[in-house]
Amino acid sequence: MNTATRALWNPIVAKEYRTRMRTWRSPLAITIYIVLLGGIGWAVFAALIVTTGFGQGPGILGQELFTFLILFQVALLAFITPALTAGAISGERERQTLDLLFVTPIAPFSIIWGKLLASMSFVALLLIISVPIFSLVFLFGGVDLYQIVSAFLVTAVTAMTLGFVGVAFSTVMRRTLAATVASYGAAFVLLAGTLLWGAVFPTEVDASVTTLPAPPAITLVSPVIPLLTIATNVPVTGYGVRYKNVNPNGGPGILNSSGGGAQYCMASPNGGVMCQSGVATKPGFLQSGSATAIQTGLFQGWQYWQANVVMQLVISLAALLFSALMLPPVRRFHFRGRRAPAPQAA
Amino acid sequence: MIAVEDLTKIYGNRAALDRVSFEVPEREIFGFVGPNGAGKTTTLRILAALLQPTGGKAFIDGSDVTKDREKVHTRIGYMPDFFGVYDQLTVAEYLDFYAACYRQPKQRRRKIVDDLLALVGMTERKNQQVDSLSRGLKQRVCLARALVHDPAVLLLDEPASGLDPRARVELREILRELQGMGKTIIISSHILPELTELCSMIGIIDHGRMRATGPVHDVIARLTSGRRLHIRVLDEKDAALEILTPLPSIRHVEAVNGTIEAEYDGDEQTASDILLALTQAGIRVSSFAPADGGLEDAFMKATSEDVG
Repeated sequence: MNTATRALWNPIVAKEYRTRMRTWRSPLAITIYIVLLGGIGWAVFAALIVTTGFGQGPGILGQELFTFLILFQVALLAFITPALTAGAISGERERQTLDLLFVTPIAPFSIIWGKLLASMSFVALLLIISVPIFSLVFLFGGVDLYQIVSAFLVTAVTAMTLGFVGVAFSTVMRRTLAATVASYGAAFVLLAGTLLWGAVFPTEVDASVTTLPAPPAITLVSPVIPLLTIATNVPVTGYGVRYKNVNPNGGPGILNSSGGGAQYCMASPNGGVMCQSGVATKPGFLQSGSATAIQTGLFQGWQYWQANVVMQLVISLAALLFSALMLPPVRRFHFRGRRAPAPQAA
Repeated sequence: MIAVEDLTKIYGNRAALDRVSFEVPEREIFGFVGPNGAGKTTTLRILAALLQPTGGKAFIDGSDVTKDREKVHTRIGYMPDFFGVYDQLTVAEYLDFYAACYRQPKQRRRKIVDDLLALVGMTERKNQQVDSLSRGLKQRVCLARALVHDPAVLLLDEPASGLDPRARVELREILRELQGMGKTIIISSHILPELTELCSMIGIIDHGRMRATGPVHDVIARLTSGRRLHIRVLDEKDAALEILTPLPSIRHVEAVNGTIEAEYDGDEQTASDILLALTQAGIRVSSFAPADGGLEDAFMKATSEDVG
C-alpha cells in the first residue's frame, strides 16, 4: 500500500465507517435530513404557487425554490457537521482509546485525517442523496447545471470547514460536550457572525462610485451571500455597503453605474440605504441582469462563490494544521516556555 | 532490555517521579509496586513514549523512548489501567483493527487474531461485541490487543485490578506463558502475593521515588531484616511468652489472636533452637512455622520509611 492510499484508507477510516453505520443514529439522521429537505421543498413550492402561481414564469419559480433549498441545506449541514466531528478526538479520549492509538505506528495526522475522512464521507452521502430533490428544480427551469454544481461545491466546502473546525475543537478540548458547544458556536460565527459583521461594519463608499462595491471580504466567509448570487445570478446589493453623500431629500436617489447596469440608492426609512437596479422592480437579490463578479476589494474579479471557497479552504487548512500540531501526546513545541522548578532534594 | 536512568517527571511544583532508576533484563517479569499516586502509571506512560520526562533517560531494547518513539512503539505492547474498547465492534474486528493499525498485512491478520484469541482463551467469543464482555474477558481482549504486533516487551498497568480470583489465576497463567515465549514484562499491581509468585524482579516505588529494586527475594531479605515465626501452643501461652522473651535471638514477641508471633534474628538453626527451648521447658507446641510476610512486609516497610 503506497503512502497516498494509506492516507486515504487508513484503518481508522474503515473502523469509523463500520461503527458509524452500525448504529441506528446514521439511518435516522439520513431519514430526517431527507424528510426535512423534501418537506421544505414541498412547502416552499406550495407557498409560491399559492402566493404568485406561475404568473412570474416557471423559471423564477424554479430559481426561488432552488434558493430556499440550497440555503436550507447549508443550515441543516451546519447543525449536522459539528455533531459528526466534535466528538472525533475527544470521544476517543473519553473512551480512553486515544493512548492505544498513539502507541501504534499510525501518525497523529493520520488519526485526524481518518476521522475527518469518515465524517466528511457521511456529509458527502447526505449531499448525494439530496441530489434527486434538487433535480426537481429542473422541472421548472431557471437554474442551470453550473449553478447547481457551484452551489453544491460551496455547500460541501462549508460542511468541510465546519468539520475541520469541529475536529480542531475536539482535539484541544477534553470533553465532547464542550467541543460540541464550541463547534456550534464556531458554525454560528462562520455562517451568521460574518454576515452580521458586514451589516454592522459595512464598506463605506461614495455614492458616486461607478462600480458596484463589494461588502467587506470577511463577509464572504459565510456561504449565504455566495449561494444567493449563485442561485439568483445577480450580485447582492444593499448589504455590507454604506453609501456616503446620499441625496438627503430621499428623492430620486443618486445614479450609480454598476457593472451590470444602472443602479439607484436612496435613504431608507430606517436610516440605512437601499439600492436597486434600474431594470428590476424589486430591491436586493431578486434583481436580474447584473454581473455576479466581485468588482472591488480583495477578491476583485472573482465570483462570490470562488472567494468563499478559497477563504473556507484557508480556514480548513489552518484548523487541520492546528489539530495536527495539538494532537500528539508528546509535542515538539510548548506554549509555556518556562519550565517548572526542580523538586527539592530529599 | 529495559533501562531507566534517573527518570524525573515534574507537574507544576510536584515531582511525580524523582530520579527513578531500574533495569529489567530480557525475559524477566518485573513487578512494579507502589501505593496509588506513587508514580507507576507515569513511569509506564514514559516507557510507552506517551509522556515526555522532565529529566533522565529510559531505553527499551536500546531505543531512547524520547527520541526513537516509532521504534519503541514497535517493540512494546502497552496495556493501560483501563480497557479502551469501541462500541459496535466484535472481538475479532477489534483485534483486526489494531493489527491493521500496526500495519500487519491483511492476509496475515486473520491468523494473528485467531492465534491471539486462542492464547487468551477467547476463541469461542470472537463474534461477541467487545463492550458486552465481562471485566475479566475485556482484560483478556486488551492483553491480546497489546500482542497483535508480537512485541518483545509488555507494559501492563494494573492488569489484575478488579478481576475475580479465578480471572486473576488465569491471567497469571497467560503471563507465564508469555514469559515462556520470550517476552519481557513489566507489570504494576497492588496484589502483592501474586507478584511474589509471578515476578522474578520487583521495584517498590513511593511518592515518585524508587525505594527498592532487584530480585524479589533480595528485596524482601533486604527490607525485612528480622524473620518471623507463628507459634501455637496448648494452654500455655503465658509460659511460652516467658520463655521466649529473654532469648537473645528474639527481637520481639507477642500473642495475637491465640498465636504467638515472634520476630527473631538468625537462620533456620536459630529457629530450631527456639523450638527446642520451648519443648525442653515442657511447652506443648502444636504449630511452629515461619511467617510468610514476604513482599507485603517489605512493601509496608519500604513505603512507611525512607530507606533510600
